[in-house]
Amino acid sequence: MQVIRMSRKPVRPPGVHSEKDFLSKCIRCGKCLQVCPYKSIHMAGFFDGLSVMGSPVISPRETPCYLCMKCPPVCPSGALDRTLKDKKKVRMGTASINKKECLAWQDTLCRSCYQSCPIFDEAITMDENLRPVVDERKCVGCGICENVCPVDPAAIVVRAGGDNR
Amino acid sequence: MLTGTLYSFAVGPVWITDPLSGFQVIISAFAADRILLVSMAIPIVFALVFGRVFCGWMCPQNTISEIFDSLADRIMLKRLLNPSPSPKIRYMIMALLILLAPLLGFPVANLISAPGIISVQAANYIYAGSVGVELGLLGLIVLSEIFLVRRLWCNFVCPQGAFLGLFRTGKTLKVYYREDEEHMCGKCYECATACQFGLNPMGGKIYPLCHNCGDCITACERIKAGGKPLSFKF
Repeated sequence: MQVIRMSRKPVRPPGVHSEKDFLSKCIRCGKCLQVCPYKSIHMAGFFDGLSVMGSPVISPRETPCYLCMKCPPVCPSGALDRTLKDKKKVRMGTASINKKECLAWQDTLCRSCYQSCPIFDEAITMDENLRPVVDERKCVGCGICENVCPVDPAAIVVRAGGDNR
Repeated sequence: MLTGTLYSFAVGPVWITDPLSGFQVIISAFAADRILLVSMAIPIVFALVFGRVFCGWMCPQNTISEIFDSLADRIMLKRLLNPSPSPKIRYMIMALLILLAPLLGFPVANLISAPGIISVQAANYIYAGSVGVELGLLGLIVLSEIFLVRRLWCNFVCPQGAFLGLFRTGKTLKVYYREDEEHMCGKCYECATACQFGLNPMGGKIYPLCHNCGDCITACERIKAGGKPLSFKF
């Protein structure tokens, strides 16, 4: 039995507009999850609530989205924007850094998130003291940073929300 | 290549979407996506021409219910209730769910889509190696059909089947009963006995509950005497 506990608003696959728009358009067919080569997308279950049951969810700490952009074109109902091809225009959410836990912000050398960010040197930059800073206008919310963060629980997490730009 | 589930699937470049799922999206998002409309049109046209053949030929719930019904029949199990078949309750459930979809902001009818849930969980098993408790619906349906009401789900509940049944015209494929000199009917009731839905093709209204499975016609053809009064006709 598969139970995905969702403590916060779930991160949806790339191409989502807003949670409300997504929930009304997603027919829970599961095609996005089937075409995901990384198995990043899994299905919300009964215990996550009836309104989200069967809908696709990404848990970046387990497997982030690698922005291969294979899922938006297969969505039959337009819940994911089929025309979205440019990964820089994806807006699944925004990463935010917990500065109290982040190693670099605690004066330990670490640049895991900075180096693995696919929007390299744009969404996450290093400040003059070599601490990572997220540019909320550039971050796509893929969650690769959250996945690679060596702190447990991750000191950088993606919060869902926002529109495609 | 086949991807998707019975809510929506793709066979190569051809996309097919459950009309009720699509309809709920259209009325709750106030948006008519062109690809969505085209993929809904295929099953609708199919229903307009051949009737609800999806139910008989593709729906996994129908197959499962059919198997358990013949098993229950073999051990002569008596159901608790024996209501006469009527599409009214089904239409009421469908209307309520369609009304709820825009109010609650998600496709509510998909929560009780038996073919959808079975296919999604089958896909889940293949892709994720696990199944969810949603599959419990299947168990509930089977148990209630064995002990409570014969073929309860298809006859009295299924909103997807009810929606497909709306797409019927006078020219849609139907089970046709004719009694004349060439087609003598012995009134053996083999056809009505063969129908798991309790419909009688020898007279009376069998649509929209009949989904053209052809069991009655097969039963009729098995009778050696008589002139085969039942056949499919457009």
